[in-house]
Amino acid sequence: MTVNPQAMVHLSDAAVSVELETPDMTLNIGPQHPSTHGVLRLVAQVDGERINSVEPVVGYMHRGYEKLSEVRTYAQITALVNRIDWVSGFANEVPFIVAAERLMDIEVPERATAIRLILTEMARLSSHLIFLSSYPLEIGAATPLMHALRERERILDLMEGLTGGRFHPNFNRIGGVKPAVGQGAQTKKMSLDIPKGFLDGTRESMARMTAIADDMDSLVSGNEIFLARTKGVGVIPADKAKAFGVSGPNLRASGVQFDLRRIEDYLPYDRYEFDIPVGTTGDCYDRYMVRLEEVRQAARIISQAIEGLPSGPLQAKVPRIIKVPKGEIYVRAENPKGEMGYYIVSEGGRIPYRVKIRSASFSNLSVMPWLLEGALVPDIIAILGSLDFVLGDVDR
Amino acid sequence: MTDSPSDAATTEAAAGDAGGLEDFAAGIAAAVGADRWTADHGTVKVYVDRAAWVHAVIAARDHGLDYLSWLSAVDWARDVAVGEPLQNPDDTEERFELLACLGTTTSADLVILSTSVPKEDAAIDTISGIFGGADWHERETHEMFGIDFRGHPKLVKLYLPDAFEGFPLRKDYALLSREVKPWPGTVDVEGMPSEDNVEAGDGGGDEGESE
Repeated sequence: MTVNPQAMVHLSDAAVSVELETPDMTLNIGPQHPSTHGVLRLVAQVDGERINSVEPVVGYMHRGYEKLSEVRTYAQITALVNRIDWVSGFANEVPFIVAAERLMDIEVPERATAIRLILTEMARLSSHLIFLSSYPLEIGAATPLMHALRERERILDLMEGLTGGRFHPNFNRIGGVKPAVGQGAQTKKMSLDIPKGFLDGTRESMARMTAIADDMDSLVSGNEIFLARTKGVGVIPADKAKAFGVSGPNLRASGVQFDLRRIEDYLPYDRYEFDIPVGTTGDCYDRYMVRLEEVRQAARIISQAIEGLPSGPLQAKVPRIIKVPKGEIYVRAENPKGEMGYYIVSEGGRIPYRVKIRSASFSNLSVMPWLLEGALVPDIIAILGSLDFVLGDVDR
Repeated sequence: MTDSPSDAATTEAAAGDAGGLEDFAAGIAAAVGADRWTADHGTVKVYVDRAAWVHAVIAARDHGLDYLSWLSAVDWARDVAVGEPLQNPDDTEERFELLACLGTTTSADLVILSTSVPKEDAAIDTISGIFGGADWHERETHEMFGIDFRGHPKLVKLYLPDAFEGFPLRKDYALLSREVKPWPGTVDVEGMPSEDNVEAGDGGGDEGESE
């Protein structure tokens, strides 16, 4: 930040003038700023340390996925949607593929939905561990970064072992999940659908997940500086959150117990026990605590899911050429960052007529101008970080 | 529904839901003053007049749907520059279909309000005063479809550069890469199986067990 010489003159006048008038200054933050998780520019009008208004400038990462989806087959689109929220690539695929399956009236085998559920929760862990490592760092605590990223690497290794991809698994197929090497038509008897060591590795990693959540509690949650920076800062009241379409942990931090895993049936979450943590005030600290508790809950879900993994085929019988019958559908899912949904209009062909992508970060970030009005400049980073958005998820 | 066929209880519950869904759809339609609604594939759509758009959104909010999920549009066009053409172009009225998806945070209730915006007069009143979140959604719909939202506080481009010309999500907007290289590309054309619906051999049957 540069000091405006005009402002300096005014400061020196302060001694003689009781009615101090300070000129507004335009403060530009970004597009390349380490705390913006992608490329986001904020144009803030500030009066001293107080923000009068802020205008987020987005679109630097706009890749036109909605238009691209109109020239791609359904199988090709799963590869695209992986890259919307790249921190939790797998979770982006699920609602899209479920929407296509419902239009085609396909029953997905139990084993495939269970594997989808495990990978979705792993994506949630991967996303939340990024938040738990980067958020304290933005506020000035560097140590938690190492702890959380170390555990995230294990999750990525497990996902790579199962799907072949660390960030972009592209593992969903219409009717199930990708059959692994050996399950093709020629070698039907092999059926190596889950690699050796995956279940043991997952058990071990989930036990460590509870430990890392406890570590974060002792390192960060009670830290006096962290509390001072986050308690009572960036409060989103529940009614504002709903009107802006804020969802996911950001909405639950405002005390709204709304979790699509409980109320939608895109994956069989009703088979597993888990709690939905909610906050009370909707400040930055609550948003942090909700995500920390969700790490414990995600580990709890995965632990149950790998013990009771149903046997059976990985894919339903589907036509070789995927043609989706004429129809319109909206399917949404509880992604790590909130409600992610796809509104698909099919005209009966191999490619959709229109795909509207409802991404969580878009709505979560749109509350920003309202939220930052009247806030202090040093709180910008604390508030931005606490919303946990990814610009790929905003711009699509 | 993705429930397993063996899980009879869940399937029954899903069938019960369908009835509840239609009651819910009829209730919302009555509340917003609409006489046409659909509830296919678990997606409730209520069709309202363009003139009644703002009133319908307010009525839906007062009916308890206070969570704005998204707002966007569909370009129904008889001629398409790229992508899948309409199945029955002659039966389709050329129009923009504006959609607003409203829900609640206490249940699974979700409704998509739909209205028609004629192409020759692509304008409608804004709902950004009712739902703060509509602000950005309307800006995106404005730049992508060229629909004017009357009364919007700041209807400027959201994603695209200021100098960008055209409305990318309209069906008459061609993708430059598709102009240069038609789709499917040569790689796709070679390996594509025939159009007959061949049953895939992989994955089906009882061979999938392991561990």
